[in-house]
Amino acid sequence: MHEPMEHPHPFEHWRLTVFYAAIAFVIGFYLLRLFNLQILQGANYRIRAEDNRTMEVSIPTQRGLIYDRNGYILAKNVPSYNVVITPAELPADEGGIQEVYRQLSQLIGVPVNNGEINEETVRNFTPCATDLGIAQIVYIGDTNAPYSPIRIKCNIDQQTAMIIRERAADLPGVGIEVESVREYPTGSLTSAVVGFLGPIPASEEADYRARGFLPNRDKVGFAGVEYSLNDLLIGQNGKRVVEVDAAGQILRDLEPPEQPMPGYSIKLTIDTRLQAAAEAALINWMDRWNRYFGEQRYTSGVVIAMNPKTGEILAMVSYPSYENNRMARFIPAYYYEQLQRDPYRPLLNHAISAEHPPGSVFKLAAALGILNEGVVTPEQKINDPGKITVEERYFENDPNPRTRDYVCYIYKTTGGGHGDLDFIHGLAQSCDVYFYKVGGGYKNEVPKGLNIWRLGEYAKAIGYGRVLGIELPGEQDGLIPDPDWKRINVGENWSTGDTYIATIGQGYVLSTPLQVLVSMATIANDGKLMKPTIVREVLDSEGNVVQPFEPKMLWDITQDPVIHVYDENYLQTGEMKTVAPWVVKKVQEGLREVVVSGTASTIFEDFPIPSAGKTGTAEYCDNVAQAKNLCQPGNWPAHAWYVGYAPFDNPEIAVVAFVYNGDEGARLAAPVVRRVMEAYFNLKEVDAESVGGSVP
Amino acid sequence: MLLRRETWRRFDFWLFGAVLILCIFGIVMIRSAIAGNAQLAESVTRQIIYVSFGLVVLLGTALIDYRIWASLTRLLYGIALLSLIGIYILGQALFGSARWFDTGIILIQPSELVKIIMILVLADYFTRTAESPKNLAWILRSFILTAGVVVWILLQPNLSTSIVIMVIWFSLLWISGLPVHYLAIFVFLAAIGSVLAFPYLADYQKERIISFLFPDPNARHGNVYNVEQALIAIGSGGLFGMGYGNGTQVQLRFLKVRHTDFIFSAMAEEFGFVGVVLVIALLVFVILRCLYIARHAGDRFGSLIAYGVATLLFFQTAVNIGVNLNVIPVTGLTLPFVSYGGSSLLSLVLAIGLVESVAVHRTTLDF
Repeated sequence: MHEPMEHPHPFEHWRLTVFYAAIAFVIGFYLLRLFNLQILQGANYRIRAEDNRTMEVSIPTQRGLIYDRNGYILAKNVPSYNVVITPAELPADEGGIQEVYRQLSQLIGVPVNNGEINEETVRNFTPCATDLGIAQIVYIGDTNAPYSPIRIKCNIDQQTAMIIRERAADLPGVGIEVESVREYPTGSLTSAVVGFLGPIPASEEADYRARGFLPNRDKVGFAGVEYSLNDLLIGQNGKRVVEVDAAGQILRDLEPPEQPMPGYSIKLTIDTRLQAAAEAALINWMDRWNRYFGEQRYTSGVVIAMNPKTGEILAMVSYPSYENNRMARFIPAYYYEQLQRDPYRPLLNHAISAEHPPGSVFKLAAALGILNEGVVTPEQKINDPGKITVEERYFENDPNPRTRDYVCYIYKTTGGGHGDLDFIHGLAQSCDVYFYKVGGGYKNEVPKGLNIWRLGEYAKAIGYGRVLGIELPGEQDGLIPDPDWKRINVGENWSTGDTYIATIGQGYVLSTPLQVLVSMATIANDGKLMKPTIVREVLDSEGNVVQPFEPKMLWDITQDPVIHVYDENYLQTGEMKTVAPWVVKKVQEGLREVVVSGTASTIFEDFPIPSAGKTGTAEYCDNVAQAKNLCQPGNWPAHAWYVGYAPFDNPEIAVVAFVYNGDEGARLAAPVVRRVMEAYFNLKEVDAESVGGSVP
Repeated sequence: MLLRRETWRRFDFWLFGAVLILCIFGIVMIRSAIAGNAQLAESVTRQIIYVSFGLVVLLGTALIDYRIWASLTRLLYGIALLSLIGIYILGQALFGSARWFDTGIILIQPSELVKIIMILVLADYFTRTAESPKNLAWILRSFILTAGVVVWILLQPNLSTSIVIMVIWFSLLWISGLPVHYLAIFVFLAAIGSVLAFPYLADYQKERIISFLFPDPNARHGNVYNVEQALIAIGSGGLFGMGYGNGTQVQLRFLKVRHTDFIFSAMAEEFGFVGVVLVIALLVFVILRCLYIARHAGDRFGSLIAYGVATLLFFQTAVNIGVNLNVIPVTGLTLPFVSYGGSSLLSLVLAIGLVESVAVHRTTLDF
């Protein structure tokens, strides 16, 4: 039996055609898609593949160190050990995980379970500062990034860290992270100058990222020189471009690695020993009086010491201060809040950022002006009856002058005045009436006073009313008022009385303690105004000096014409002039007399080194005083000032002391300055001996 | 019989050659896809053994007259059912779920073999009913025949193999003359059925479908990540590829399951557009060759076997490449002949063996 060789076509033709069509359609579609992916978008995907396998690893650099002028370390980097757990590397079974938690808990004292996981605890979770147990912390870490280590406990001691490392085999997933943190051996003593670090702020994140810094790891200065000299200190992170596999394991360098550049170190002009002495002098003296009064009357103050010939700041105390070591790892919210709410504002560097009325220390400006402008001669005697009555004129030929009494400070206690005084004794006794009369003019005795415009010129010439450019953040410029300023800001014309009280550093005049110090240092330095500086040297990481110290003179008032000349209508003529050297000499003599027979004579009675200085008792009425209801008319509270220098004939040190609400300059501030000067000369002796002793 | 000249004259060397090239290409690609993973290191040797053994199976099957299977369909169906029920009960009792019999040497996945058995069983059914009226009873009987095994595979759970068998059933139904108006009803019922069935899927299956429809662009692992990495691998291959052993996605293991489900992406990265078009062309050639044999078979049973195998190959190829190209959700279907895996390869070479048998035994025997 023979059947045909070829079986008749078994399928309906069109049904098979549909099948062929399906194949053609699917394969055609896939080829198009492949063409699109590989040819059209190939370059994009090649970039993404490159992106997958390459990783940039930032190698952290070392922040530069901060030293004092003698090489004593003020800020250094120390290793800190953190216990971390990588959730993905924990044992697979729950029992194994619990065993790891239990063992770790015994070692570091963090409970296995504590607190509960809810929206709030997760949101508030901050590694290193949490009460949650290990299981809860790992839960949060596991949810966010199971392959990234999460910190369980920070800053454990080195021994525990070593134990955990040794037991790594028993503790899968547990690791030790070494972090470099800042340590400030001198803590709160120098915190106003040194400052502290914090995380890169969100607003500057892009900028720092572009410079190779990592926001979650690297830190930047938040205050003090850590902030102002951040760019010098911070260095440059290194960079590796590496090939990684899918598990994130680094396989090799794709490019030669860039090594990190350590930051520059900074040698400050501060002498830590003098700083400690200055702080102790201020605190002890305030305490003594607080005990005497039985209340916390004196709570904050400033001491600054400077070499008047070079502008080097030898000590800068702003009290109260804060403990910058508490900010070393992270900024604790409660501590920072406490500091911010403190009415005495410990986060503020009062030495450069607080603006207060300078009071009588401001008389230096008027003293220079009246002699240089010829308002009076040094020998001319001015009478102080204790109280003078002045007609307040708000403009020339004011038909309705108000009369007002102006008293000298001793009138309150003695009911009389200083009597007839020449220039030197007017300055030495800090006679208010003398300065009222020469500053604003008084009847026929001083027909034409110095006037506010010219007073301002001399004040600015010795450093008031401007930022002096110290390398610290937050320096304020103070305020030297003039009639234009008053019309704009107070909405009133300038009156004769405004000139009177401005002459004695009251009223609208504001200054920082640093400005007061610089004004005295300028006189001490025969008219040369040195730029105050906190930086002595910049060193590289090997300790070589890359920027040596060079004193910078801003100007010399006896050489550089910095005083505008005014015509009889007090309009600037466009000419400029200098201060005559004899005027500076006379002012120096007057300041010497303060210590010999004037307001500070008892304090400096037996001080072996001849010095000069000026007391200041500056009445004020700010929000703190108002809150305490201290602003009684005629009896305002007052800040205490004293600024002086020594030795008189060849000044080495100028010191200012300021006690907030310190009542009287001679009593609260001058003794502090004296102690700082004593400490300075003692230290000088000690240094000379040790240098001498080392010579064979 | 082995020595008969016309056996080798009718043997389709083109089909055999293409399959052999694909298998060798698969071994070469698996070797690259190991990428230093110690657990995969043995897969090349294993795949070589599978392929060698598979070729013996292919030739052996080709020599056996396929008509024998027609008389054995009841037995085969019984074996299929028994092995599936066996693995279900055994699996439930021992592991909670299982797809494999561990023979100690290789894992045998009965559902892979069941695909081939079902091609034979259904081909036999549609041959015997060729002259019957194409009514609902005819359709339902074939459906019950198929569903009888598929339900056990679904219970494993193994959705993709179940779908493959249903697709084979439907394709054979179609070619055997499914009336078009029933087709419309079928499409409608299938659409409703898949929506209603969704809640009964296993969680991982739901997740695959959801992540395909609504991908999470930030996923760092899981299906979306895998598919994303596959696209990067394919795209970065460009026209000529990064070169054998140089694909960064493959060698640095960003591409997951690169020796099985995503071997297509691995090829695309290392051999580029040119390379994968070649592989696709080979696969299409194999499918077309099966269809050619189907059209020139000695009888309807032989045609339906070759056609059923073509359906199986086309569906697996389309789904696997579709997953790689991210046009369909992730499933566990392998790329025929190329992907690593013993059971899958053996069942496919067995299928090719059947097709070769159809080609070899094109004429009735002379008496």
